[in-house]
Amino acid sequence: MNKFLVFLEQREGVVKKNSISTWNRVQELAALRGNSVVSGILVGPAEIRQLDGAMAGNGMIYHAKEERLRLYSQEYYAGVVADTFKREDCTDLFFADTVMSRDLAPRLSVRLQASLLNGCITSDAEVDGVSRPVYSGSFLASFIPKRYQRIFILSSDAQLSSCSAGGNIDFIDVEPRSFSIKDIVPVVRQIVMREGMPDVSEARIIVAGGRGMGGAEGFTLLEQLALLLGGAVGASRTAVDEGWRPHAEQIGQTGKTVAPALYFACGISGAVQHLAGIGSAGIVVAINCDRHAPIFDVADYGLTGDVHIVLPKLLDSLKEFLKTQ
Amino acid sequence: MNIAVCVCQVPDTASLIGYVDGAIDYSRVNEVMNPYDEYALEEAVRLKERFGGCVITVFSAASDAAKEVLRKALALGADRAVRVSCSAEVSDPFQTALVLSRAITDFYSPALPDLVFCGKQATDFQSAQVPSMLAEMLGMASVSGITSMNPSLDSLRINREIEGGIEYIDVTCPALLSTEKGLNQPRKTSIRGVMEARKKTVGTVQVSLHEAPYVVMNALEPLERKKTCSFVPDEDDLIRILSQKHNLL
Repeated sequence: MNKFLVFLEQREGVVKKNSISTWNRVQELAALRGNSVVSGILVGPAEIRQLDGAMAGNGMIYHAKEERLRLYSQEYYAGVVADTFKREDCTDLFFADTVMSRDLAPRLSVRLQASLLNGCITSDAEVDGVSRPVYSGSFLASFIPKRYQRIFILSSDAQLSSCSAGGNIDFIDVEPRSFSIKDIVPVVRQIVMREGMPDVSEARIIVAGGRGMGGAEGFTLLEQLALLLGGAVGASRTAVDEGWRPHAEQIGQTGKTVAPALYFACGISGAVQHLAGIGSAGIVVAINCDRHAPIFDVADYGLTGDVHIVLPKLLDSLKEFLKTQ
Repeated sequence: MNIAVCVCQVPDTASLIGYVDGAIDYSRVNEVMNPYDEYALEEAVRLKERFGGCVITVFSAASDAAKEVLRKALALGADRAVRVSCSAEVSDPFQTALVLSRAITDFYSPALPDLVFCGKQATDFQSAQVPSMLAEMLGMASVSGITSMNPSLDSLRINREIEGGIEYIDVTCPALLSTEKGLNQPRKTSIRGVMEARKKTVGTVQVSLHEAPYVVMNALEPLERKKTCSFVPDEDDLIRILSQKHNLL
């Protein structure tokens, strides 16, 4: 029997959307495999009513709701997750791909002696292996877990789970663990969230710009577009290295890997390092003045023209369009 | 203060890796120090320059070719370099972390270094697993992907970028920190640095490895991601397609 455990990540008391989507994808996997049980582990105080109706399937969610677990603490969190995994005799542990899971999962891999696979999609767990791009996205490598117990970090996916939400979820409080003083290092003092746009790693729509934007001012067009669409602004490495945009927005090999449903590449030529970051994007729209730019080889739709002329027109048309909706 | 820095070699991101007769052709690949490790080493060197009394030792678990990258690390300001030699082949992040942890434990025995720096991931396979695994094996606290660091009297004040914000973290030594782009601007090697590096020796630590890997790579093939691009005549057309055909707007 498969016993799946899903790590549900909360930040400031709100369970992350991609954790919920991971839960739903694992439920789907469990249904496919049969003879599987799904449970969750939620660490830190959180509003659990928000989960009603959003989560699919049946299962138990173990909730460690101590106040001191509100902010991420590596050792506390690792301890709670490892305890639950062992106590419930789980076989597989699933994470959404986040900064926190990348910090936590390798530690748990050693502690639980479990194979750790990152960059997975759910069907990878189905076939017991994972394929993901390596070497700047020019090769696809397949990895097989050798341990009986496994940890999967699921990539965010442009495809939403087809699972219908509204399952029967029970919450069970986890007894507080005893901790030694050593456990409270490192301490997260506080977190400060940026106002406004969603983060590129979580946005459904991304409007990204590169060298062709010509400078920091050029990005105001993209900000307007992102605002209209409820999306986020992304940037190529050039745009970040030139200081036009912060590193948090960089997409590609030395930046973030993203999986929006819709990706606009504006004034981005499409270096292989950039393409490595958008392999899982849904629909890609490229706007570039060079019709032979490599970005058009990976785009679904292309518009040739100077971004400084095309984008204002696109903004106007879009405003008109949205009025009619 | 003892600072350990772990470095590895990766193909230069600018070099094209070929594929000939079903196998990867590395012949035209230029190997360089993993870019994220450059931030790690730079941060260690800056600590030493600011506070003095620091000894920086660089470790690399790669093959013989690692000597090149260790030499470079010495030229950039490391004091000692250690090549980790291992009887068995090291093939996954778990084994890499294991041999590094054994080398570091041996080298500093019976103590541990005060700080360990690693790049947050290697740019070739991008597993981003070794730093946290190594910290767990060494029994150290760790913070992955740091973007700024300020030493205060009794702790290190660290920033880490999270989705949509910044985490402010305090950590005390001993700790392992893995470094993200944006932390600093790594220096280039100077002629003087290269000359001084010649006087330093690259040592070797022999470690055992009997543990099997946790993960095995069983296939590697070229990735073709070409799509057929439909060029649209104007903006209105694009909006129409995205809204009607794909229901995205």
